[in-house]
Amino acid sequence: MDINDISTAVRRVDALEKCSGTAKYVSDYDFNDCLWSKMIRSSIPRGIIKNIRIPTLPDGYFWVDYKDIPKGGKNYLHMIATDWKCFAEHDVRYTGETIALLCGPDKKILEDLYKQVEIEYEELEPAVTIDEGLNCKGGAFVNDNNIHCHLKLQVGDVDSAFKKADRIVTETIETGFQEHVYLETNGACCKIENNKYVFYVSAQCPFYIRKSIAPLLNISPDEIIVKQTVTGGAFGGKEHFPDVLCGPLLVAVHKIGKGVKLFFTREEDMENSVKRHPSKVVFKTGLDKNGNILAMESKVYYNAGGYLSSSFVVLQRGCFHVSGCYEFPNFSSEGFGVATNTFPSCAFRGFGAPQTLFAIETHMCHLAEMQGLDPLEFKKRYFIKKGGITSTNGKVVEDVKIPEMLNQVLKTSDYKRKVKQYALGSGKGIGISFYNHGGAFTGNGEQAIIKAKCKLKKYSNGKVEILCGQTEMGQGFKTILPKIAAKVLNIPLIDVIYNNPDTSKVPDSGPTAASRSTMIVGKLVEKAALLMKERFNKEKEFEVETSYEHPEGYDWDQENFQGYAYLGYGWGVCVVEVEVDPCTGEVTTKGIWSSHDAGHLIDEKIVHGQVNGGVIQGIGWASTEVMENINGYFKQKSMSDYIIPTSMDYPSQYVDFVENPYKWGPFGAKGMGELVFNGSGAAYIDALSRAIGKRISSIPCPTEKVMEYMLNGKDIKDSLNICR
Amino acid sequence: MEKIDCYIPETLQEALEILHREDVIILAGGSDLMVFHKNEPSLIPEFEKSVMIIRNLNELKGIRINSNGECEIGALCTSNEIAESTIVPWHLRQAASRMGAVGLRNSATIGGNIANASPKGDMPGPLYLLDARVKLTSLNGSREMLVSDFIIKFKSIDLKKDELITKIIIPYSERDFDYIFWHKVGTRKSNAISKITVGMALKFAEDEIVKDFRLSATSTGAKTNRNRDVENLLIGSKITEENISRVIEAFDQVISPRAMPVFRRESTKRMIRRFLSQCLLHPESRVIDTYDSYYVPGSPKPVFNI
Repeated sequence: MDINDISTAVRRVDALEKCSGTAKYVSDYDFNDCLWSKMIRSSIPRGIIKNIRIPTLPDGYFWVDYKDIPKGGKNYLHMIATDWKCFAEHDVRYTGETIALLCGPDKKILEDLYKQVEIEYEELEPAVTIDEGLNCKGGAFVNDNNIHCHLKLQVGDVDSAFKKADRIVTETIETGFQEHVYLETNGACCKIENNKYVFYVSAQCPFYIRKSIAPLLNISPDEIIVKQTVTGGAFGGKEHFPDVLCGPLLVAVHKIGKGVKLFFTREEDMENSVKRHPSKVVFKTGLDKNGNILAMESKVYYNAGGYLSSSFVVLQRGCFHVSGCYEFPNFSSEGFGVATNTFPSCAFRGFGAPQTLFAIETHMCHLAEMQGLDPLEFKKRYFIKKGGITSTNGKVVEDVKIPEMLNQVLKTSDYKRKVKQYALGSGKGIGISFYNHGGAFTGNGEQAIIKAKCKLKKYSNGKVEILCGQTEMGQGFKTILPKIAAKVLNIPLIDVIYNNPDTSKVPDSGPTAASRSTMIVGKLVEKAALLMKERFNKEKEFEVETSYEHPEGYDWDQENFQGYAYLGYGWGVCVVEVEVDPCTGEVTTKGIWSSHDAGHLIDEKIVHGQVNGGVIQGIGWASTEVMENINGYFKQKSMSDYIIPTSMDYPSQYVDFVENPYKWGPFGAKGMGELVFNGSGAAYIDALSRAIGKRISSIPCPTEKVMEYMLNGKDIKDSLNICR
Repeated sequence: MEKIDCYIPETLQEALEILHREDVIILAGGSDLMVFHKNEPSLIPEFEKSVMIIRNLNELKGIRINSNGECEIGALCTSNEIAESTIVPWHLRQAASRMGAVGLRNSATIGGNIANASPKGDMPGPLYLLDARVKLTSLNGSREMLVSDFIIKFKSIDLKKDELITKIIIPYSERDFDYIFWHKVGTRKSNAISKITVGMALKFAEDEIVKDFRLSATSTGAKTNRNRDVENLLIGSKITEENISRVIEAFDQVISPRAMPVFRRESTKRMIRRFLSQCLLHPESRVIDTYDSYYVPGSPKPVFNI
């Protein structure tokens, strides 16, 4: 490849097929020999199934439920935990829980049959919110306290430090559900090809699906082949959730002996898919006489929904990030995954980190404002540096370039002048946030759990194929990964083949999640390409394989969550400026300035795209994206109810980066796909709070809530609750 | 599902004859009806009775000024046609230009927006404000009535089975007023449904006496709200702090928002206060907005807490 710097942008490999509409998504395939299917779901949030009246099914139509799981098979989906059932049996824990799959050749007839299904329940009182879950409303249904999972971390000695504090203040910060709104809704088709179950599916993690559903039929994952189809967005919503489609499809195909397909409509997908965990973080902070932080305690509650599934890992990441970009002398965090009767919460860009980062940033702002300080000046006192102790008693391994990034955004945004000029409550405000994101799986997860492998294959015609399980879902990985190989091998990008993964043809390089693909798998490709380079001209056709090796000396104790949680963090600073309509509370964002440290960028344009999208998605989460669950039912069911931002809502962004090559990443690159989501919401809310002069401690904050704060909110300068 | 007929008449006469003999669903732009009757992908939408698609009726298209100087808009005019026409009154152009997204604005019609009778509809507000009339035509002739009378209540209109909305006639425009106001608070900046929309217009007589004042609000009850008793509190008087408060309090009694009541009531109050207090200052711009942009050099510093 004839570019000097790998950062120089190239045209995306998939640009043409996506822009021209020729890309084939799963529902575009001619699965004509396959049956249609409809999911039969629980219509109540909590109860016991008393009776199911199935209409008389014509020939060729099938009802598939838990009774069709063969002997030896297990009725669960193996996500991270194994508690999420494939089909409900006796009780239901949330609205939308899968009860059965109705399959048949004619979609119209299937629709009519679907409408005739009647299910009788004995309804039980649901617990919907975190508080209702904790209070065991309607009786506990997980353990005896509705706590799915729990962890506790401590740096220093918080209790002793509290004794020395001049005053101790408390504050609760809350965040809401968020829906992924990927452009392409969920869909999958399962067929039998050469005596194997073959899935065509819109998904992030093909190997996860095999592992998750094989126990249903008590078969080896190798008997299932997963072929990822072009995936129109995921954001974490297709990390584990495709299992919920593929499990029932597998049982159905096993029973019927024929292929079955299942595609969700937008409304169906919104009502019946995983969401971002709502959160509640309770801080207790001890200050000395001069207002410095002596100790901080945080209790982190995540609404995990009806099943644990992946929530413990999400909660862990939340607790690891709750200290933000700061190092406090004494710090503790305790996390609780709360069981409620809502759709199980799952992965969403940031994977638990955005909630606690929003919480700590907002709490830090409020600690500053109550002392009459500019939040920036207060936050500056605690920035963590290289060698600084993290929330898990590990150390920050790399240089922390926050001072450099801060200088960039101060200059581009003119922050200091504006802070002076815009009085609190003047209708104009500027806010700032600092955030990070630990790249890849936590601790030794890459080494102990994933054990990623990757292959490069050279063909006699000089072309090179990348064989790994990573997926393109819109983020640009189909360009990033070949670019790394082409650059190392010094061959044209077009000579690198990288197809959508097929689990029977590629090694398992781990999930496309956790901001790990470039950082970990990119490195495996770089290493493989270097090995290949030595033999490139000597041998016509050959393969090289690489596997992940964890750097020595950075230990992790997964039982107690102690040690080096992450070796490479992405870092970010974001400034947002707003003005508020004094008549209506409408907020107009006047400017967005950010700087990020993603090591060395593999492709500037793709990284720009990630920043643009991530920052806006983060502000959407904090402002207009209201997703309410009323008595166990999601209220927003369509794209006219659930308000994601459009390009008209925000101005062009000013995007900056710092160069900070990561020694274990390809060309020095680190993860950044989640990082760019993690902080914009806090900067926006900081700006908004200052503009209206009121303290905002929960999101989302749409126009009508802004008005309520303007009318009845607490003054931003008021003291937080003093508990001692 | 039984089979239904679908008619696509080419002339108004043909359409009226179909209406005369058969009970049909009239489909113009389809932007509401097709969503309402949406079916699973690849399945045909299901209508409970026959459908008549009237898009081809040229008699229902076009915008002109009639001999009385009134603006006449064909019922099939789309939001984009209305937004782009310079002869359409300002308030209606504003409303049309902020409706949905471009694709919807190219398809949705003014006749359909009125017939849908949604309290969140974008067009009825300005039409109420400007005393617009609908022309209803059947084989037996035509009749005209105020849009505000035609829309009876939530999703209910005074249309006989054999009638078609053919025209909307608007007697007033911004030229009849000294100051005008229209503000939609959408769920976001574009492609948005109204959370609240307020339209106002005011004309002074001599000596600061208010000659005409109009006020309408959508998304604040079962139908668009306009109340002449409230307007009469100001007409014939001067704008004073006391009068402004009387109008605000009286209009607050008129509206009945169910969801987001605090926001809807308070923002309505603030918008009325802003408009009237600005009129009193006789600013150069006839268009009054909710606040002076903080970013225009030399503009007065906004007073935030009204």
